[in-house]
Amino acid sequence: MHEEPYTQAMLDLALQEAGGKRITEIRLGVGRFSAIVPASVEVFFRYLSAGTPAEGARLMFETVPVELTCTVCGRIVTPDIPPQAPIRPALGAIFKKGCRCGAGKLTITGGLGFDLIDLTLGDQGSIAPGGEAGE
Amino acid sequence: MTTIEIRKAITQANDRLAEQLRQRFACHGILVLNLIASPGAGKTALLEKTIGALGGTFTINVIEGDPYTSLDSKRIIHAGGGSVQINTEGGCHLDARMVSEVMDRFNLAHTDLIVIENVGNLLCPAAWDLGQDATVVVASLTEGADKPLKYPEAFVRAQVAVINKLDLEPHLPATAADLKNNARMVNPSLSVFEVSCLAGTGLESWYQWIAAAIKTKKERRGRA
Repeated sequence: MHEEPYTQAMLDLALQEAGGKRITEIRLGVGRFSAIVPASVEVFFRYLSAGTPAEGARLMFETVPVELTCTVCGRIVTPDIPPQAPIRPALGAIFKKGCRCGAGKLTITGGLGFDLIDLTLGDQGSIAPGGEAGE
Repeated sequence: MTTIEIRKAITQANDRLAEQLRQRFACHGILVLNLIASPGAGKTALLEKTIGALGGTFTINVIEGDPYTSLDSKRIIHAGGGSVQINTEGGCHLDARMVSEVMDRFNLAHTDLIVIENVGNLLCPAAWDLGQDATVVVASLTEGADKPLKYPEAFVRAQVAVINKLDLEPHLPATAADLKNNARMVNPSLSVFEVSCLAGTGLESWYQWIAAAIKTKKERRGRA
């Protein structure tokens, strides 16, 4: 349920940007803290895109890492939290450690969003739905 | 095959509409708060108290987001506030379109404060801009002190945190100090109020903050 409105918004944006052309691939940036599950987006996308120029498009997901910025020295830290590792202890430990400048606190400045990175469009322009898909 | 770079947030259409709402609210000098919390943290209780304390001075209207019921809307009206209900039919957050569809049911020319009480959920409401001036997250001690670390987005995107149910602190493992620390760890610039809506304690500074924010917004009327 949670991913449905995100998927609809992503599809609307993709269709608008494609200007009626057939979409064969959509590359998405999923923030590590975005609470978006790619597998759920896939399921909703197949259902929501049916009959649109994005039907059959391949979805490519790229994880956007958590980015922390020091409030004092401005240093940006991109902690390497493995995809399956629980975020909470990892994040808690990083926050407790703070910035290496010793003065600053870290604040989250990246990895929250869900972005449309790029679209690959078919050469044949706008085609009727039901044509060959994402080959 | 042509690849075109987009690099836009998925929520772009929503963000645009939210910006239009923000302009409209600004024209009327109305302070708008997006109130986020998990179910049962005390969002509605905080509003009941706030309306009780400030309702005589300011006109307070509440947009109530709820999956299915109008129970909270009734509580707001009983407390003396204005309220319209949005039922999301299971949807887990409000979006700008939903707010735009109901906002004109209030008399905007005679509204000082609109609080949008989001669906009880700490995950996704934070990602959807509703045209608010500030996002307020309510966290209660019964939920435990670790919520800011588990749901960082809500706390990162908020400007204000209200820690509720302080009256229960002696009976719970979680402490207000730990919850506050964790909230500030995730968002160092967060303003934090520690209250008990049930006991009616700690609310004075929250009321003062709201009253000051309403006045500031009124002085800036017409400016987005």
